[in-house]
Amino acid sequence: MIWILVIVFILGLILRFPIAFALGLACLSYLVVKGVPLIIVPMKMYSGIDVFVLLSVPGFILAGNLMNQGGLTEKIIKFCNHLLGHIRGGLSLVNIGASMLFAGISGTAISDTASMGSIMIPAMKKEGYDTDFSCAVTAASSTIGPIIPPSVPMIIAATLSGLSVGKLFLAGALPGLLLGVGLLFTAYFISKRKKYPKHKRSSLRDVANSFVDTFWSLLMTFIILYGIVGGIFTPTEASIIAVVYALIIGKFVYKKLNLKNTQVIILDSMKTSASLMVLVGFANLFGYILITEQIPQSISNEILGFSDNKYVVLLLINLLLIVVGTFMETIAALLILFPILLKVALAVDVDPIHFAVIAVLNLIIGLTTPPVGVCLFVASSIGKISIGEVSKAGLPFLLVSFLVLILVTLFPWLSLALPNLVID
Amino acid sequence: MFNKMIGRILKIGTLLSTWGLIFTVLLQIICRFTPFNTPHWTEEASRIFFIYAMSFASGLAMKNEFYVHLDMFYNRLPERIKKILNITVPTMSLILFVVMAIYAIKFVILGIPEKSPSMGFNMGIAFFGMFIMSASISYYLLRKVMKIIKNTRP
Repeated sequence: MIWILVIVFILGLILRFPIAFALGLACLSYLVVKGVPLIIVPMKMYSGIDVFVLLSVPGFILAGNLMNQGGLTEKIIKFCNHLLGHIRGGLSLVNIGASMLFAGISGTAISDTASMGSIMIPAMKKEGYDTDFSCAVTAASSTIGPIIPPSVPMIIAATLSGLSVGKLFLAGALPGLLLGVGLLFTAYFISKRKKYPKHKRSSLRDVANSFVDTFWSLLMTFIILYGIVGGIFTPTEASIIAVVYALIIGKFVYKKLNLKNTQVIILDSMKTSASLMVLVGFANLFGYILITEQIPQSISNEILGFSDNKYVVLLLINLLLIVVGTFMETIAALLILFPILLKVALAVDVDPIHFAVIAVLNLIIGLTTPPVGVCLFVASSIGKISIGEVSKAGLPFLLVSFLVLILVTLFPWLSLALPNLVID
Repeated sequence: MFNKMIGRILKIGTLLSTWGLIFTVLLQIICRFTPFNTPHWTEEASRIFFIYAMSFASGLAMKNEFYVHLDMFYNRLPERIKKILNITVPTMSLILFVVMAIYAIKFVILGIPEKSPSMGFNMGIAFFGMFIMSASISYYLLRKVMKIIKNTRP
């Protein structure tokens, strides 16, 4: 019977149904065939969305969009340019550095590729960088966002597992920084070999001025993190504080917010959040069906039957998640697979926080994995070149990402050191 | 006219619920750091505002195509198949949400005798969000289907 669920879902994805609707149709088909009362559909949708931690998702998305209205992307790029522009291949480093800073505000890889790419790719092309390299750097760097806090995938992982959002945010910080540094070095070595240009060194005054411009947005990330980790706010409260802060900064410091554009930003942010929540609701129904059919148990038994060695199991999970992450949107993949795979990971004594970082890292690396990584698509469409060219130029970055993934998988302390140090 | 009215109701609903969510959570924080006691109803109220904000916005998200899908297989299909899919996908999705809307009404009725734990209102009000969600998505899917049928007529 469970095959109906799987076949309809996969068919739905292939036929270009929205992922949430494909999930819903798969569940509906299963319930009809099985003769389960359909009132379970709105019931499970409701219980899936009615989770207090999820209230923080629209808050963080709204805060990021409000900040962006004040030209935040340009300000962050300007600051990074003053800081890193004088090094060989400066703009590629600026691209990565800005993504690391922007990560604290945007929280999603695709929006990062789109907003950063629309500015950085034309600018890099203009300065003589190869288009494929410019697109590849943009796509690769945008994967840092969802791992560095605040991170929407981490909130979803916390919702699914009951783990602390604060701990998950902190757990992602070191792997995110490691990924960022790895990408910076890769871009530098490629730039040196290809003799890409560098700018004149900026004066300390320019660096300081541009820092003041970005300071307010960086402070927001600090307030969110300090509030949650310090036990001052819940994640939901922190997200609303971030919204109020962004409203004040946007209105009185950046002077870009008025009643009209604030309403447009609220509506856009809520539409993005709602599309996620419909997905969350159907995923809850999907999860309920899987549990009643004892699928997580069966998958767990299958994997553990193959091997009960922790590292073999983690390797299998990594491979599965990378493939799924290549095809599927991060949140959707997380909602469907995380609860099942967490059970397997726990059976081989993997720390749940460590596993959440591994899962999110896998899925976001999948976004830049050929042939169909979504970020590759976005970057190639901005650069107006084929996805094949971007994929080829992105290989060194992808290898570094895999290396970071291996390190994060093999050394749990990379994920656990900060939460243990700060919270425990 | 009717379409504009639906769009306006959803927009106003989304905005009011979002502001409601912001003010309720803010009140919760402010009361915690002042001598006033935090009202016991803030968490429940913020959940309701959140459910309603998401419900109103889900229809608008449908209208503006915010729901993500995979293009990789679709792009490789022949034009004739694409044309068939262009009408099949929204029609099947419409069936899903109409079924959900019908059962959402039953869900609301089921919630009427129940009282919410801290505010004491009947849970049918909270569950009504699921009807708004499914009905508004159905409405925009229906419009999409009708538009496609109209455009394919010779």
